[in-house]
Amino acid sequence: MAGMEIDTVENLQRKQSTYQSLDETFVIQNETYRGQQYSQIYFARLHMMRTLLYSLVTHWKPHVPVCTVLGLEEGKECIIVGTLYKHMKLKPCILDEYSKERSAVPLVKHHNFMHPDDHLVLEDESGRVKLGGTVLSPSVYVTGVVVALHGKETGAGDFMVLDVLEAGLAPQIEPQLKSREDKYVVFISGVSAGSSSSNPLQFQLLVDHITGHLGDEKEQGIVAEIVHVVIAGNSVEIPLGLLNGQNLASKDQSRLSEPVQELDILLTQIAAGVPVDIMPGSNDPANFSLPQQPLNRWLFPGSRAYNTFRSCTNPHCFELDGVRILGTSGQNIDDLKKYSEGRDGLEFMERTLKWRHLAPTTPNTLGCYPFTDRDPFLIESCPHVYFVGNQDKYGTRILKGSEGQLVRLISIPKFCDTGMVVVLNLRNLECHTLSFETQFSS
Amino acid sequence: MATTPSNMKGFYRLKKNRSGITKPTSSKKSSLHLVRSLGSDITQLTALISHGSPDLKDYHDNHEELMRQFDMNMAYGPCLGMSRLARWERAQRLGLNPPIGFEGLLKAEKPLAVVGCTTAADLNQMLFLT
Repeated sequence: MAGMEIDTVENLQRKQSTYQSLDETFVIQNETYRGQQYSQIYFARLHMMRTLLYSLVTHWKPHVPVCTVLGLEEGKECIIVGTLYKHMKLKPCILDEYSKERSAVPLVKHHNFMHPDDHLVLEDESGRVKLGGTVLSPSVYVTGVVVALHGKETGAGDFMVLDVLEAGLAPQIEPQLKSREDKYVVFISGVSAGSSSSNPLQFQLLVDHITGHLGDEKEQGIVAEIVHVVIAGNSVEIPLGLLNGQNLASKDQSRLSEPVQELDILLTQIAAGVPVDIMPGSNDPANFSLPQQPLNRWLFPGSRAYNTFRSCTNPHCFELDGVRILGTSGQNIDDLKKYSEGRDGLEFMERTLKWRHLAPTTPNTLGCYPFTDRDPFLIESCPHVYFVGNQDKYGTRILKGSEGQLVRLISIPKFCDTGMVVVLNLRNLECHTLSFETQFSS
Repeated sequence: MATTPSNMKGFYRLKKNRSGITKPTSSKKSSLHLVRSLGSDITQLTALISHGSPDLKDYHDNHEELMRQFDMNMAYGPCLGMSRLARWERAQRLGLNPPIGFEGLLKAEKPLAVVGCTTAADLNQMLFLT
């Protein structure tokens, strides 16, 4: 009996951290739809990025003149700044439905729409020019990226690119009070409660671990250092097969809401012990286009009683003890994977940071709200941690910027497939994974 | 436009050979250096002066011309789907230096000028004088 103390004298206190939400730019509150088209958001993006690039160009190549696309002269070396457009042969086009050559349309869906014949075009308000040369690789860039190009116009009317300047990492603000003790943030994504492939016991195991119901004192001591939990999208899988155009029977109606109820039960347990942020993902009951608005609090009648429960936008940006953390539920990187080539998810993440835009393919191939006066996905201040959810596998790397910026890139794997969550130490930005298994190998 | 209400006709009164976008000329007659022409550095008021003297009796038409010049100016971005005041404010916020007197003009005008915006039909009329 001496080995097992049920009523311990000391109560383990969970560590605390200061939290500040920076989601105002992603919340759609004052916007009204007046029939505007996406040209407005492209204009805002071009203008903001161009102002920035013009200031960088003076240090990059000070002796080369800057001009607009319409002001190009043949043979004269100059720098132009504009939005890239990638002409892709295999990109699905609505007009294909009306094309007379039905046989030319492939029946197999592509995972990646790249083709060797893809070419890039640079566009600004005055015009567009086709880009040539080998410096700019169409497999790396996507439509919507704003860059500065040094080159000259050829006789054929193309712009031969000699060099390219991306905006690079944004300036980073050092956290004022660097914590000297270990504090951990847990990142989960792709829980998919209610799906046939998810194991509810696995998520329950995770919840029990985070709330300190598992393990001995030493284990609980480690868990008490977890100060925040972030759920990065795809937390539920609604059984859409029930929706067949007919009126739903009442028993089907309750089946439709079961996944969310299941999630709420587990979230309540987490929220009772640790601050939790939940972000919507592509499968969650939130709006489709980015920035996704916070999941309605009434979906979680149990968890909303706690002030530790926060429903957040996607993308989500917040500061914990001064450490700036920015991330999405994965739609931005998944779209880049379809329209460009990269080694792994981390490479796409690095590109978005260097392009200073979270989702450059919006609104071209990724749904986006037609903002008129701003582009909320522009990264003004470089985060210390950049995470992306719902990826196929775990990955992490430190990215170093040209001005001493340090970013921890985290690719969060889907929990329903891998049983893995990512744990980040706020003190030194180190990452490790926690795996939960319920299979017993014999 | 058969469906245009009758008060709209008076609002957008069209007169040929006076309105429309003309290439900037070198003459700087007007003291109202309010409007920038398309992509040009010369700040001048071309449309009003093109036929000789500004028609100040037609107060409404006068200001409407100014506003259309503002709409057509590429430097301030696309004009469709945005109220003129919102577009002016956006230009101000992005540091594009829109003409300062304009804000007063927009607010003094009928509410339509502030809330309404250039539609695609208006653009058609402006560009092709139909």
